[in-house]
Amino acid sequence: MPENNPMPENLDSDAGGSALLVGRGISRTYGAGELAVRVLQPADISVRSGEVVVIVGPSGSGKTTLLSILGLVLSPSEGEVWLGPTRVSGLERDALARIRLRSMGFVFQQFNLMQGLTALENVELPLVLSGTERKHRRERALSALAQVGLAERAEHKPRQLSGGQQQRVTIARAVVTNPSVVLCDEPTASLDGASGKLVLDLLRKSVTGAERAVLVVTHDERVLRIADRVIEVAEGHVRERSSALKGAA
Amino acid sequence: MLRTAGKLLLDQPSKSLGTLLGVVVSTFLMAQQVSTLLGILGRVSAFADGTDVDVWVTSATTEDTDITGTVPMTYLAMAASTDGVERVSPLVQGMSRATRPDGVRELVKVVGVEAPQFFGLARSLVDGTQPSDLAGPGRVFVSAADRPLYGPALRGDRLEVGGRTLVVSGFFDGIDPHGNYSYLFTNLADARALADVPTERATFITVRVEPGRDPNSVASSLRARIPDARIMTSAELRHAEVTHFMQRTPVGIVFGMGAVVAALVGSLIVGVTMFSSVVDRTRDFGTLLAIGATRRDLFALLLAQAMVFFVFGSSIGLGAFGLVKHYASSAPMLAPPWMLALVAVGSLVSCLLASVAAIRRVLSIDPAIVFKG
Repeated sequence: MPENNPMPENLDSDAGGSALLVGRGISRTYGAGELAVRVLQPADISVRSGEVVVIVGPSGSGKTTLLSILGLVLSPSEGEVWLGPTRVSGLERDALARIRLRSMGFVFQQFNLMQGLTALENVELPLVLSGTERKHRRERALSALAQVGLAERAEHKPRQLSGGQQQRVTIARAVVTNPSVVLCDEPTASLDGASGKLVLDLLRKSVTGAERAVLVVTHDERVLRIADRVIEVAEGHVRERSSALKGAA
Repeated sequence: MLRTAGKLLLDQPSKSLGTLLGVVVSTFLMAQQVSTLLGILGRVSAFADGTDVDVWVTSATTEDTDITGTVPMTYLAMAASTDGVERVSPLVQGMSRATRPDGVRELVKVVGVEAPQFFGLARSLVDGTQPSDLAGPGRVFVSAADRPLYGPALRGDRLEVGGRTLVVSGFFDGIDPHGNYSYLFTNLADARALADVPTERATFITVRVEPGRDPNSVASSLRARIPDARIMTSAELRHAEVTHFMQRTPVGIVFGMGAVVAALVGSLIVGVTMFSSVVDRTRDFGTLLAIGATRRDLFALLLAQAMVFFVFGSSIGLGAFGLVKHYASSAPMLAPPWMLALVAVGSLVSCLLASVAAIRRVLSIDPAIVFKG
């Protein structure tokens, strides 16, 4: 069962909004003994409601590992992950899956849409998994597609859509369950400039007026323009840049 | 989930078609093998099943209707005086040769029944044949299925059997041989002459029990009354026929193994294609896990896919089998509902077993792979 203990004090809410996702002392080591490789040094990180946090760093720096741990698809070797007031690290994997389903949305570099399903059916998938009644899930999926400007493409298969459109479908799938955190892995890496801008605008918009945060891992400097905070990862060390760069890029 | 499973299958049409074909072929072969075995076993026990005899009294050395001894005719009166017996009659049988119009001498089993009631005669008489058509010396009934062998045989034709000339006086069906001989029914005297069975002996004393009496209890009374004889109800005779046939011939092993191999091959085809499909879709399954699917969800998804293959594959396979059976009506195939259900269960088990490797593979997928571009 998830544990409802007090939030770690040093990472609790501040003036920027309540902390939705917190990692405390999280690290990751692969292998054991002399062959052990620590790819992520112990780090504290918090993501607050209403903000877009961008994680940058060179390839192999550990930023994807950090995203995987915060996205509950990878267990930290040390440390804890909290989702709101609930400590979720250490839960068994099906419980974590249900937490991801209810509280998290994912946007991937390669979109990861099911090619055999239409855009609408792809967006419906999380609702199918959560057992939502067919009529309601159709309404909600159509609404999510409308939010990303693809309502008229609902019956198109992914291969009938451009890369930018596919990524917008992925965003619709990520937000259809109204999650508190959306985690994005290189969301603009496969997109041209115009499509990338549209996707970033949608991600920025998704936190506006919602109890939601967006966490983005990227190499793409364009992403910095929507960032409220930027976290740098280098050789497994995590540190926060001193000032937000939103609008600067 | 079932709808999603179906949609995902349609996205890989060639693989799904291959898997479906595997189930179709496997189901068809299972049905064909099992039904042919049942058809042959049905012919093995055709004589026990094809008359109105309830209980058979025969020699202790008799193993089935092909390997028989004889009993004294004194058993006739002993059987007749047993409680629960309505009617008794001697039956004589033996092997002989019938000469076809082309001169070929065909092996035949001659079965002689006693006038005027001809008890022990084939139950199903065809083409207007009446039991009384067998009355009188030198008359013979030919199996309708064997008529083409003899000309075709017409009523009134002469047929040489064992050096004696008999007249075809009627036809029967429902007693098709499983061996390389035909059945002929004739009267008791001619059968004795052809089978060289003396008048004081018979191959079987056939018994009909009184209406409402249990043949098993009457058979028990007969065993007490005639302890030196072997007494079998028709069901026991059928069982003895089938048991000896299965023990003495490789037919059961051949067709039984055929059915098992068909199931295994089907399972292998389905297993390999499902596994291959899962490998191809590793990223899709990883994505499902990442966005919140549990292992149980994916387990259900793959089971649903296996069920789709089973439902469509076994339906098409059994349908194809039904067509073949319909158009190959002379082939010894029997397909009672329980056999079709058995084949369907075999097909289901085959599909479920086939999905095990795919399920194991899916359960080992790490959702973190979705973050590896």
